[in-house]
Amino acid sequence: MRLRTGSLALRLILAAGAWIAIAILVAGVMLSTIFRDYVLRSFDGRLSALMDSLIAVIEVGADGQITLSRALGEPRFDQAYSGWYWQITGPDDAVLGSRSLWDQTLATIDVPGTEVVTRDGVGPEEVPLRVAERAVSLPGGTGRYLIAVAGDRSEIDAEIRKFNFVLAWSLLSLGLGLLIAIFLQVRYGLSPLRRIRQAIVAVRTGKAQRLEGEFPSEIMPLSGEINTLIEQNAAVVDRARTQVSNLAHALKTPLSVLTNEAGVGGAGLADTVKRQVETMRRHVDHYLARARTAAAARVLGARVPFAPVADDLRRTLEKIYADKGLRIDVRVAPNLAFRGERQDLEEILGNLLDNACKWARTHVELRADTDGVQITCTVDDDGPGLPPDQREAVFARGKRLDEQVPGSGLGLAIVREIAELYDGSIRLEDAPATGVRAVLLLPAALND
Amino acid sequence: MRILVVEDDADLSRQLKTALTEAGYAVDTAPDGEEGHFLGDTEPYDAVVLDLGLPVIDGVTVLKRWRRAGRNMPVLILTARDRWSEKVSGFDAGADDYVTKPFQIEEVLARIRALIRRAAGHSSGELECGGLSINSGSGRVTVDGDPVKLTAQEFRLLDYLMHHKGKIVSRTELTEHIYEQDFDRESNTIEVFVGRLRKKLGGDYIKTVRGLGYKLSPPGDEA
Repeated sequence: MRLRTGSLALRLILAAGAWIAIAILVAGVMLSTIFRDYVLRSFDGRLSALMDSLIAVIEVGADGQITLSRALGEPRFDQAYSGWYWQITGPDDAVLGSRSLWDQTLATIDVPGTEVVTRDGVGPEEVPLRVAERAVSLPGGTGRYLIAVAGDRSEIDAEIRKFNFVLAWSLLSLGLGLLIAIFLQVRYGLSPLRRIRQAIVAVRTGKAQRLEGEFPSEIMPLSGEINTLIEQNAAVVDRARTQVSNLAHALKTPLSVLTNEAGVGGAGLADTVKRQVETMRRHVDHYLARARTAAAARVLGARVPFAPVADDLRRTLEKIYADKGLRIDVRVAPNLAFRGERQDLEEILGNLLDNACKWARTHVELRADTDGVQITCTVDDDGPGLPPDQREAVFARGKRLDEQVPGSGLGLAIVREIAELYDGSIRLEDAPATGVRAVLLLPAALND
Repeated sequence: MRILVVEDDADLSRQLKTALTEAGYAVDTAPDGEEGHFLGDTEPYDAVVLDLGLPVIDGVTVLKRWRRAGRNMPVLILTARDRWSEKVSGFDAGADDYVTKPFQIEEVLARIRALIRRAAGHSSGELECGGLSINSGSGRVTVDGDPVKLTAQEFRLLDYLMHHKGKIVSRTELTEHIYEQDFDRESNTIEVFVGRLRKKLGGDYIKTVRGLGYKLSPPGDEA
């Protein structure tokens, strides 16, 4: 499937791509926020737990001195600038801090109430911290003590970054996966369009008469409309062809009248009329033949039994050539059928047999057989024969080798034209004894 | 010889009639299938020129009706349609020959002569009886090699007798075959023509068969 601007597939894929991108972006932001909140909350939980243990070990001396009854079980509070700190600020601004603080203090804010407040802060060496603060009153102490516990924020940030990284990759692959799925879906969804195109191609090239096949309910009306259009078009063409043919045939009577009227005179005018009438007759014959063969280009796939056509023609030709007393033999293989239109087969065989009868002395023989794909038909006469160098010339339009033998000179040209429309062929050879053999190849119709 | 021309085009019909008359035939014409069928069904024609594209009743139907009714005169069909299927249906309906339009009158004349000859059982265009010889193509009549000049009526009469030589031809049959339909048929004109013919031909070619009619045979044959 090629993607071009203006392609349906491209539109569908672009639209899907856009909403996938937006959905994935929103999902990413939401997931990332939720995770960040979760990590922060659990970090804050750790900080308040540490704060609780701290508060439990604070002792205030009689002089207001703040000490710890025992050390906290967290070694990072003892490493300098470890990022983990605690600090107790007494009501008189006496400050006790973890060893990790060394000589620094944490910037604190006075929190209202006694709830734990967590916030982001900055510690020694500008390290970002997470700070939990709480104001408490201590036994033995007077006033409020501000307790602060701080942890290294970079831990959280690293975790969040790691999560975001994994999240981004998974969402990206999800997005790509969806795009591929959509591409396949569009391809599958639009495949009836491709099929309808192939069906139309089949109609155009004459392999089918109408759009064949089942299409989805959305396309079925379209194919129905196209079929109606094809039928209408065929009807219009047929009507036009019929009218052309009627016009041409209608002209023939006046042409006869003119020819014969002119024949009476013989003077200059009569001569001109005769010549012009002859030209008109040639035009009429030519365009009639054209209209005929154009009709043949349409429908393939019809099936015409060969023998009845040959027999009809034999009967007719025996009457036409009754004076010559010709014997016309027709030997057609049983069940032989031509793939095409009956009229075309009649024109081909009629003209071939007629030509053979014209030249034959006593005997004309037609034989037809098939190898399943092709019909091979030979028509032999026992006439004078034809030199090889003249054999092609007889297929030229308007060519007549003997002007004495009646005929329009279109016969064999029409045979060749129609045969070639069916991908067949016609050539002349020597007949086995004397005379000419015409060898005709035509498409066979498969047996039912 | 009497011929029917069934053709709807008035000019073509006139031309055919003129040419056939000049060639020595008695010619009737009909402008449509209905009248054509009626004439062919009721009058004894020696040949018919039948156009296939006719008003009222088409030519093939007319021909089929004649053949079904046992009318077996030779029929030449004229057709503008020259597809083989049309020729086949024309011949299957009972036609004896066809000419495709546009045609030259000479072609029709030649075909008609051949049809009449074939129907009478002769194969040559030259008919002979003793020293008498007649060529229906050229209209030449000779007795012992010497040309004889005949009028159209005399020629028609002789032509018919020659085609039926050796057979007895009644006066009615002669009348029917040498006069056109609307011709004023005086009963004794046949005798007048026979008398003139006998004089021009000399010898005793045309015998009178008492009470039956005439018979053409070489001089000296028994009547």
